[in-house]
Amino acid sequence: MEEERTLDAPPETAPQTDLDLWTKIRYALPTLPRAARYAIAIGLAVLWVVPFIGLLMASFRPLSEIIHGWWHLEGMTLTLENYWAALDFSTAPMSRTLINTAIVTVPSVMVVMLLGAMVAYPFARFDFPLKKTLFFILIIVMAAPPELVAMGNYNTLRETGLFDTYLGLILVHVGWGIGWVVLFLRNFLLGLPDELEEAARIDGASRYQIFRTIVLPFSAPALVSVAVIQFTWVWNAFFFPMVFMRSSELYLAPQVLPMMKGRLQIDWGLVAAGSILTMAVPVLLFIVLQRYYTRGMVAAVAD
Amino acid sequence: MAMTGISLQNVSKHFDAGETVANHQVNLEVEDGEFLVLLGPSGSGKTTTLRLIAGLETPTEGDIYFGDRRVNDDSPSDRNVAMVFQNYALYPHMSVKGNIAYPLKVRDVTPEEREDRIREATELLHIDDLLEKKPAELSGGQRQRVSLARAIVRKPSVFLLDEPLSNLDAKLRLEMRSELKRLQSELGITAVYVTHNQEEAMSMGDRIAVMNEGTIRQVAEPEELYRRPKTTWVARFIGSPPMNLLQGTRRNGAVELASGGSVSTDADGASGDVSLGVRPEDFTVSTEPPSGYSIQGTVDTVEPLGEYTIVNVSVEGRIVKAKEPTTTVERGDDVYLLFDDSDVYLYDDRGELLS
Repeated sequence: MEEERTLDAPPETAPQTDLDLWTKIRYALPTLPRAARYAIAIGLAVLWVVPFIGLLMASFRPLSEIIHGWWHLEGMTLTLENYWAALDFSTAPMSRTLINTAIVTVPSVMVVMLLGAMVAYPFARFDFPLKKTLFFILIIVMAAPPELVAMGNYNTLRETGLFDTYLGLILVHVGWGIGWVVLFLRNFLLGLPDELEEAARIDGASRYQIFRTIVLPFSAPALVSVAVIQFTWVWNAFFFPMVFMRSSELYLAPQVLPMMKGRLQIDWGLVAAGSILTMAVPVLLFIVLQRYYTRGMVAAVAD
Repeated sequence: MAMTGISLQNVSKHFDAGETVANHQVNLEVEDGEFLVLLGPSGSGKTTTLRLIAGLETPTEGDIYFGDRRVNDDSPSDRNVAMVFQNYALYPHMSVKGNIAYPLKVRDVTPEEREDRIREATELLHIDDLLEKKPAELSGGQRQRVSLARAIVRKPSVFLLDEPLSNLDAKLRLEMRSELKRLQSELGITAVYVTHNQEEAMSMGDRIAVMNEGTIRQVAEPEELYRRPKTTWVARFIGSPPMNLLQGTRRNGAVELASGGSVSTDADGASGDVSLGVRPEDFTVSTEPPSGYSIQGTVDTVEPLGEYTIVNVSVEGRIVKAKEPTTTVERGDDVYLLFDDSDVYLYDDRGELLS
């Protein structure tokens, strides 16, 4: 490379300026308004995370230690006994309810993803009669309060024999999810360049092949976002299982948490351990998929 | 390989329920193995014409034939056309190899044959070292080559190109121009090429169809298009700088120019308003009063461009351009623009070529 450089070539590195330590520190320090903004942000972050720390502490310590406040740290003992108790909880052991929750959540997510993509694609791409009306109906359902609709759902499930079955609960979740999933995926697919599909048509692909080999892979980041949000939503759902699941052996995890508080004295440790066990699954999923999740969110929202 | 001529017969395309007329009564014959260029300014309907040939649009009126087969209702894949898009349209989630293999995969070509054809295409385009890369990792020129490879890999009968070079930088564009031309003649495929760049059109096309306002104004070989532009519109569109058009009146076999002077023509005795066209390169700039035909004016500006110089001469308030190898005239000089009467084009008041 050396011989290619001419006399007039700019230096390869910026010139070093000699500054004493104090000047450097002064430059590195934020200005006052900026520092104030940091302080507010950090304050909010702490406020946000404190209850969670409390929950974590409560779950790992015996009840006697936390009864006067988890922030008393002297003589702290860590134990897993709350977790064992939660997993063995007599009414509905967490070891079972967590599996039950997975049985309901996984199909609810998969079906919504597949159906959602299949419905969103025509809305994003094709012209057909009543397109706007149909889309409007799909969206308006999201505005209805679940408590109200649940009454109708209750009757329908009773009449069709799906009450107190997972299939019924899954259908209700799919129905609730489809509205926002279609809206979200449609917005994302509006960003799919026409030329890609045209190129595929010219390459000889059928509509279905285009959907499977071009549209779906292109939507992967958005589908991951949908999966994470829908998973969290269904996994954490309390109201629907409470209304539609009656048999204790079919109970889902979030449904069981309020039962853990006991009759005479609230066993905070047990409730905390149960809560941590329940929330661990969606949180882990989010952490694993976070990168894709953000990408999908950005692309679906940005136009 | 099956080769195909293309024929468009009175093809019109309307959009928005007839509100927009993209193509009007287009008639075009593309011969077997020919490289035909659709040239026109943006909005002239050239891309719509290409998309009609591709089968991405269906004509509102008229018929399209591939050979003897009417293809109006055939899908793009039934027509066996390949298309290269302006922005390449590579599938972003597939590798280069995946992109090139795609048309073969959806047509159920066996894996062994796929491998052979991919190797053939990528070697032809010198991209055999990029197979595992994703489109996002490639430069513009490399993407262009991949999209070309994807187009030729399945041996199409018609090759359609929609401004394929316009996203490349100037140097690469020149390089790809000759490479595309070589590729097309080597493969012997009928090609239709859309561009707004007349230089590209002139250098690549066997014939050029000049389009404006949704119709074809003239179809001719590059040389003829330059030598005999059939309308003033084409005359002004072809050539750099384009032809000068001077207003005049025809009377008794001669044209009297509004700017003074007259030119005799060998046409009949008809009379009326005409435009006299002279190409900038057919003018000679002189400061001496000449003996032949000339118009008089004042030098407005001189543009030295290295290989030639453009002299802008103000004639009766209008600028007339002359192209000279070199010049000594300066702004403000009184000059004569000399021309030969054989270099004159005469257009009637509707803009049609008279002689």
